[in-house]
Amino acid sequence: MGKISLRKAGKQYGTVEIIRDLDLEIADGEFVVIVGPSGCGKSTLLRMIAGLEATTSGQIVIDGHDVTAALPVERKLAMVFQSYALYPHMTVRQNMGFGLKLAKLSVGAIRAKVDAAADTLKLTPLLDRYPKELSGGQRQRVAIGRAIVREPVGFLFDEPLSNLDAALRVDMRLEIAKLHRSLGATMIYVTHDQVEAMTLADRIVVLKDGRVMQQGTPHELYENPANLFVAQFIGSPKMNILPCKRNGDGQLDLSGQGLLEMPLRSDAAPVQLGARPEHLSLVAPENGHCRGTVEAREYLGGTTSVFVRNPELGLINVSAPADIGFGIGETVGIHIDNVRLSLFDAAGAAVIASP
Amino acid sequence: MINALRWLVFAIAALAMNFPILVTLVTSFKSARELSTNPGLWVQAPTLDNYLAVFQVSDRLNIFLYLLNSITVALIGTTLAVALALPAAYAIARGRLGERTLLPFIVNLRAVPLIIFAIPLYMMFQWLALLDTRLGLGLILSIVNLPLALVILVNAIRDLPGELDEAALMDGANRRQILLRVIAPVCRPAIVTSLIFGFITAWNEFLFGLMLTTSKAVPITVGASFFFAASGGGVQWGVASAVMVVGALPPVLLGLIMYRQISGSMTAGAVKG
Amino acid sequence: MNTQGAHSSEFRLLAMPLVLFLLVFLGFPAIVNLIYSVSDVSFETLRQPRITGLSNFAAVWNDRAFWQASWFSFRFGALTALLECALGLVLAIFLSPLIERRSWLMAILMLPLMVAPALVGLMYRLVLHEFAGPVPYYLWAWFGTSVSFLGPTSAFWTLIVVETLQWTPFALLLFYMAYRAIPTEIVEASAMDGARRWHLLWYVELPLMAPTIVVALLIRFIDGFRVFDNVYVLTGSGPGGSTASLSIYIYEAFFKQGAIGKAVAASVILFAVSFAVLYGLNFIASRRKGALR
Repeated sequence: MGKISLRKAGKQYGTVEIIRDLDLEIADGEFVVIVGPSGCGKSTLLRMIAGLEATTSGQIVIDGHDVTAALPVERKLAMVFQSYALYPHMTVRQNMGFGLKLAKLSVGAIRAKVDAAADTLKLTPLLDRYPKELSGGQRQRVAIGRAIVREPVGFLFDEPLSNLDAALRVDMRLEIAKLHRSLGATMIYVTHDQVEAMTLADRIVVLKDGRVMQQGTPHELYENPANLFVAQFIGSPKMNILPCKRNGDGQLDLSGQGLLEMPLRSDAAPVQLGARPEHLSLVAPENGHCRGTVEAREYLGGTTSVFVRNPELGLINVSAPADIGFGIGETVGIHIDNVRLSLFDAAGAAVIASP
Repeated sequence: MINALRWLVFAIAALAMNFPILVTLVTSFKSARELSTNPGLWVQAPTLDNYLAVFQVSDRLNIFLYLLNSITVALIGTTLAVALALPAAYAIARGRLGERTLLPFIVNLRAVPLIIFAIPLYMMFQWLALLDTRLGLGLILSIVNLPLALVILVNAIRDLPGELDEAALMDGANRRQILLRVIAPVCRPAIVTSLIFGFITAWNEFLFGLMLTTSKAVPITVGASFFFAASGGGVQWGVASAVMVVGALPPVLLGLIMYRQISGSMTAGAVKG
Repeated sequence: MNTQGAHSSEFRLLAMPLVLFLLVFLGFPAIVNLIYSVSDVSFETLRQPRITGLSNFAAVWNDRAFWQASWFSFRFGALTALLECALGLVLAIFLSPLIERRSWLMAILMLPLMVAPALVGLMYRLVLHEFAGPVPYYLWAWFGTSVSFLGPTSAFWTLIVVETLQWTPFALLLFYMAYRAIPTEIVEASAMDGARRWHLLWYVELPLMAPTIVVALLIRFIDGFRVFDNVYVLTGSGPGGSTASLSIYIYEAFFKQGAIGKAVAASVILFAVSFAVLYGLNFIASRRKGALR
């Protein structure tokens, strides 16, 4: 129960393609996070799965049933909205029981299910309150509770934490993760926040312009981004992208600013090198793979982000120990850990090791 | 200093604009004898005789009937307008249905001289035997009330987040259920406002009352003018004033109680319509 | 929102009662109007109209009273709209500091809007009555003379004043709301820029209120143009039809003269012109909006 497949699913508004030929297989009980910049179509995709948005081409299949044209309620999915969308004129109990009431369950059955869900979410003391009497976090929990009581085969979350303040967001994130473990239900979660994606997902799907750029575990996406877009989208602070060329000796030439051994065996000709700030370190000018002058430093407590300017390579972000000694204007060397590098070809695709 | 000037201007404006109401109120407490000597703004010997006279039913004048007619036609005209406008407003606001056809047409209806429809409606009502009936007048008043009710309700529904509907869709509600169980309760303030506004408009309507009724269904606005028809010794100004006070009181009271809502919706109806 | 087939048919069902209602109570009359306007018809031959072509329209076209009524309606609408909006604007801005703190003052100013125009018209019959009315009474007492307010020379201006005094509150209310809706940041920013009170009013506040002013002028013109109730009860069509608005002209053609064809033809003309003008305005408004985006 809870296996969701998209087969060449597409969404067109007039001549504008929001989602094109999208294939996605979501296993029962999996926590999939769909992430991407605003306008990438991620919310549309979620709403297509929910049945709130018509799918104009392809199929959506849930547990073997083609639900492409089915009403939302027939898909047995529940959704948690960004604005929570609680019914303002109903109490928490009525909010949670509304779907069951429409499904014509008996009053007693509704009561039992709502009580059980409220217990799970620690909402029991709030059951007789109205949404306007609740805090943001409590409303969020009611929205989740409303989803739980219907015992759906899958949960859909549409940026559920974006209206909460930073501290509460972390708490709710943990709570959603816990909920997933205890319910074991399929969850599809849309967000633009890659931290939420990294922390919650079994699998991340990165979307751009209605297409899947890459999908995989957070670890896969972080360590082996399939393309420049994913490389820069996943990870905070962002990955540094440096122009490079392969020279006759099979080494990487950093635009004449330094040389580096190829990190992998490949015949391809990479043109860009991706290095995460934590894979770079600051050394004495004569020891680095390349050098530059310190332009700015941002003290972050645990570490310091040092921004080094190189005339050819641009601004390079290096994650350094908090108490690093280099001052602004000083010339420094940058050491590159070439085992952890990513290389990209002219089309922006990752260069992978030849077999 | 400037504030004193403001108060002065306010007093003059309020007096000028409310002058006929004030004069009528004062006159309604004057005896016939006093009226002939003192047309001024002061009552020397206040009396309730005029009001007693107004509520004397005669073959020619029956104020109870006029009031009952006005209440009935205003209620029909108001509830029917809202009952028709609410589902349509929902379809317009959420289904994007008739946004460029139905909505502008009905909004324009507010600005069209109503006399255009009065004559064919008169003939139609003659065929349907609806002339001089409360139902007939009520039906027409609902057309008068439709534009503003629709604009108020469309705006109210547009102001609600679409996710509310979608949450209900996920909960398994169909559009009718969403309208009745989610949208209507949430829009209650807007519904109440359109009801109040419609009631005042319908109560104050004159043209259709004049054309479509003759005796049985005459509303108070038309009935009041009957008191001006000279019966022997000219118009009895005291009695006529009392009638107007009685006829104006219900909408004025409603308006005073609800003036905040009304002022808000007047602006909405004007600016967004 | 959703565009799925099942949903749009649900929506159509919800809009259906209103559409049917309009078809019956407006569509049918519109057809009757069109047929009768090209027919020879009287109260006796209501059910057997005889098509005669455009003679009714010709009759209206050649009727001096029709053009007189059109001119009255236009002038009445334009003058009252201008007066009401000018007065309303001045009062709204000048009284705004008072009303802001005591909103019940607005309730007093709004009172005339709650009273039926027909009743207000009747009230003025009392107010202006030469023996029982306080206005002539005080004019005699203070100046030793009075005016025949509803006589041929003054009737038009009396009606203008009556209409203006009742509906200025409407303009006032609209303008007050628009004035209050001007963001304080904008006013403060222009104060920081060194704007004086008059500059602020002229360069900042009035331009921001301009859309509301246009709308108010339009609404008041339309309501003035189609005036019936208060004019009808005060002066009727007036001496020589001098105070007949188009609405009164049509009403009297139908009820007093029994000239059904002529009344209906005039209705059709009014109908066509009204909708043409209104849709024209809608079109301009929507283009304006498009340009601003």
